[in-house]
Amino acid sequence: MSTVIEVTSLSKTFGTKQALNNVTFTINKGSTVALVGPNGAGKTTLFSIICGYLKPTNGSISVLGHNPGDANLFGKISALPQDAQLDPKFSVAKQLSFFAQLQGMSRKAAEADTQRVLELVDLAHVANSKTGELSHGMRKRVCIAQALLGSPQIVLLDEATAGLDPKNAKAIRNLIASLQGDMTFILSSHDLSELERLCDTVLYLEQGQLSSHQSDLYQSEQGSFVTLQMLNLDTPMKDKIAELSGVKNIKQTQSDELVIEYAKQDEPFDLSLLTLIHENSWTYKQLVNGRTLENQLFVD
Amino acid sequence: MNFQRTWLFGQFELTRLFATKRGWLAIAAFFLVWLMVLRYPIYNAVPFISSYEFSDIVGQVAGTVGLSALISWPEAELAMFWLIGLFTFPMFTVFVTADQTVEDRNRGTLRFLTMRSTRLEILLGRFAGQVMILASLIALVTVATLAMMLYRDASLIASALPKSIAIWGKLLLTCLPFIALMSLLNLVTNSARMSIVFSILFFTIVASVISYLGAQYPMLDWLNYLIPGHQVTELTGWRNTPVFAYLLPACQTLVLLGTGHILLKGRDL
Repeated sequence: MSTVIEVTSLSKTFGTKQALNNVTFTINKGSTVALVGPNGAGKTTLFSIICGYLKPTNGSISVLGHNPGDANLFGKISALPQDAQLDPKFSVAKQLSFFAQLQGMSRKAAEADTQRVLELVDLAHVANSKTGELSHGMRKRVCIAQALLGSPQIVLLDEATAGLDPKNAKAIRNLIASLQGDMTFILSSHDLSELERLCDTVLYLEQGQLSSHQSDLYQSEQGSFVTLQMLNLDTPMKDKIAELSGVKNIKQTQSDELVIEYAKQDEPFDLSLLTLIHENSWTYKQLVNGRTLENQLFVD
Repeated sequence: MNFQRTWLFGQFELTRLFATKRGWLAIAAFFLVWLMVLRYPIYNAVPFISSYEFSDIVGQVAGTVGLSALISWPEAELAMFWLIGLFTFPMFTVFVTADQTVEDRNRGTLRFLTMRSTRLEILLGRFAGQVMILASLIALVTVATLAMMLYRDASLIASALPKSIAIWGKLLLTCLPFIALMSLLNLVTNSARMSIVFSILFFTIVASVISYLGAQYPMLDWLNYLIPGHQVTELTGWRNTPVFAYLLPACQTLVLLGTGHILLKGRDL
């Protein structure tokens, strides 16, 4: 799998504040990467450096073999920058069409592509509206649409679903899922369940440092952990589960949630667990193969 | 640098003026102001300048301030327009071109653009757009003045046409460094309004200090060449205009845009 982004010993300082400190990682073509971390961890700074908005203080970064901001990257990398807005004085279609023309399309092709991306975010009906007339959520979706103009190889979305209603947030998640494989996505969000569903790699930033870089998130965890959410979880339940064959460790991570570590054996563990639940007439809410992203990052 | 993208930026700036309601209102206001200038100061001054009774005194006064060549023009409307335009268009330019990149930077719109074009293309494209806007507006007033003059005496058309084109070109050339100055100020201020305030401070305090220093210390006299519009008095009289009066605004424009490019290239967006 070829590398599309290579970051080496990257640091960024704003005055006396170190926003990024010696960050190193690579991103492979076609992967969907989650950029996670608390507020002020340096996520947006890292996004901005990859996009070429900010210059790193130290270190190097290569995007498709070029420096960020290089003219060779125009049309190949696109982004939804956090809090960036289109010009409120012009219509959505005019601005998106202009962007597409800047990417090298003819006027006609640009107008057709504008229509295509607006349909992707279900906003074709506001093409002739000025962006100043749109709601916050609509403006966000228009900004996502501009990131899909042409056929970018890398798409960076900073807080893409923040501020969207659940229906539209789901639609955006579905859209990203449908485009996965053709494009490399880098997503930043505080919604870990969203990232868990979409991403195969996690970059966890904390105080400007990359504290974990996990690839193939789901596959590496599969088979050794299950996460079980139960209705009316109590200690006897927990004890009975702990007695199941193969259970190595059991941890209660929330009032209704258990993370069970087990050793692989002939009889599938999830079947044993479901049989136990059925025999005791318990009610389970959710059974997850592996650990949730939240548990991996914040519960040890 | 890609000229196609730069040209697209210039075109987009034109639509900001000619394809928006706000732009048409601005054009209407501009045209009405000039209509007043044409109707009253210029229209009323022409018989006075051209009259036989006052020709001696007007000639003497004009000669004193180096305008004798202008006063001898039979196209008196164009002469008046030239004098008024030469001193008002630069000031007008500062206001019209006050927002080139600054509001886009504040709004984050520049971030969408830098994913698709270089910063130099944005800077030059926006500058070119403002030049085209100014060229259109100056042309509009020049044509209006020409029309008013032809209404008085249509036989002057042969001599008036080349003069009108020359006036248009010289006014535009004079305005170029003012546009470039606003391009630069957009990069060091946080709003179009602050860019205007900084330009006013520049043309009052900084220009006065430079002028004073140049007068006190002749070795510093060259600093005056940094001030856009320094050559205006050389252009006014329309006779024996030195080459430097044409070169200076072009050089000032290049220096200001070059400085702007260095600033924009290195700054965080």
